[in-house]
Amino acid sequence: MNDVKQLLEVAATLPRSSVDPADDLRRARASSRARTGRRLRLGSAGLALAAVVAVGLGEVATDPGPSGPGPSASPEAFADVRLVAGELDADPYTFAMVPQGWSVQSQNPYAVTIAPDDGTTSASPDDFRGKLVILFDQNPPNGDYVSNDGRDFWISVSSDYVTVATVTRGDEPPGVVRIQYPADAGWSHASMLEFLGSVHVGPGALPGQG
Amino acid sequence: MRRSDRSAEFVEFARAHRSDLVRTAVLLCAGDEAFAEDIVQTTLTKLYLAWGRVRRTDRPLAYARTALTNVFVDECRRAHRRRETLAANLPVVADHRDPQEGADLRAVVLQALEALGPRQRAVVVLRHWHDLDVYETAAALGCSVGTVKSQNARALAHLRQVLDPTREPLVGGTR
Repeated sequence: MNDVKQLLEVAATLPRSSVDPADDLRRARASSRARTGRRLRLGSAGLALAAVVAVGLGEVATDPGPSGPGPSASPEAFADVRLVAGELDADPYTFAMVPQGWSVQSQNPYAVTIAPDDGTTSASPDDFRGKLVILFDQNPPNGDYVSNDGRDFWISVSSDYVTVATVTRGDEPPGVVRIQYPADAGWSHASMLEFLGSVHVGPGALPGQG
Repeated sequence: MRRSDRSAEFVEFARAHRSDLVRTAVLLCAGDEAFAEDIVQTTLTKLYLAWGRVRRTDRPLAYARTALTNVFVDECRRAHRRRETLAANLPVVADHRDPQEGADLRAVVLQALEALGPRQRAVVVLRHWHDLDVYETAAALGCSVGTVKSQNARALAHLRQVLDPTREPLVGGTR
């Protein structure tokens, strides 16, 4: 046994009571059921999307006339979350696009939290689960590089969350602005690139240390 | 495999190894017991969902420890942990009391661990608590052997500085 191991042994000593493994099993089964439900919903959504695409293609094929001024079927139309043009002020951050059905829950110089309006997430602004978080820091961006609308982005996907990062513009404080969102929240990467591209970091923003 | 069999095996595994995972998690989380319990629960849930893989492995506990370490690193990358770090934002001050003085020792060691980055802490725990060699540690963390060696060297230097700058270098070279 060496010095480090002895010290770690001391630090890991815990006067803990034992935990019933049945609680772990209950949580694990609940997670298993939730995963099955998500897969079923995704399957249903995929079938619905296939039907929409098939109908759309049929209409294009059978309608030789000019298309009307109705809404076009953008890729975002197929995602659960839609972006619409509009100013969203979360000083010191501003957004030129607004996610429909989502609102700013909290803001500070380091970050902005945006939550769905349907009440499915915690009311606590410190609980980020299921929410969209915009962060500003000076760590290098990481993930897969993509270019969108003349700007560089990096997309990093973990088991549950997706993070998209981009370097701030010349008229913004120097750093990296990131958006983190749950992988199953209904955001497409294209939507998120567009949304992040619409973020303006104001002079009051402060880079987080993380 | 029947669900009841999977559940029975899972409960048996949790009963046998939960405390080991919690102790490892406490080290990874530098004494934050709530965070440690969170990552143990998340790890056990992930193990249950992938139970087929767990039972096929030769060393289920080693598999679980690796999963726990990955859950820890993933969690540290997430925004809510970052915000908590920001909120705390406390400078770590070296405590030069004699770390051998009984009850203080645990607090001093945990404070020293807290000052390390998450991956450095993971390297220390895997290398020196679980006795993995540099290759096994690199495989568990998904990084290069060189990264493990450099992280380990930096971490040990920091621990030595914080725990007792007058002591000889901590034992724990590269294997």
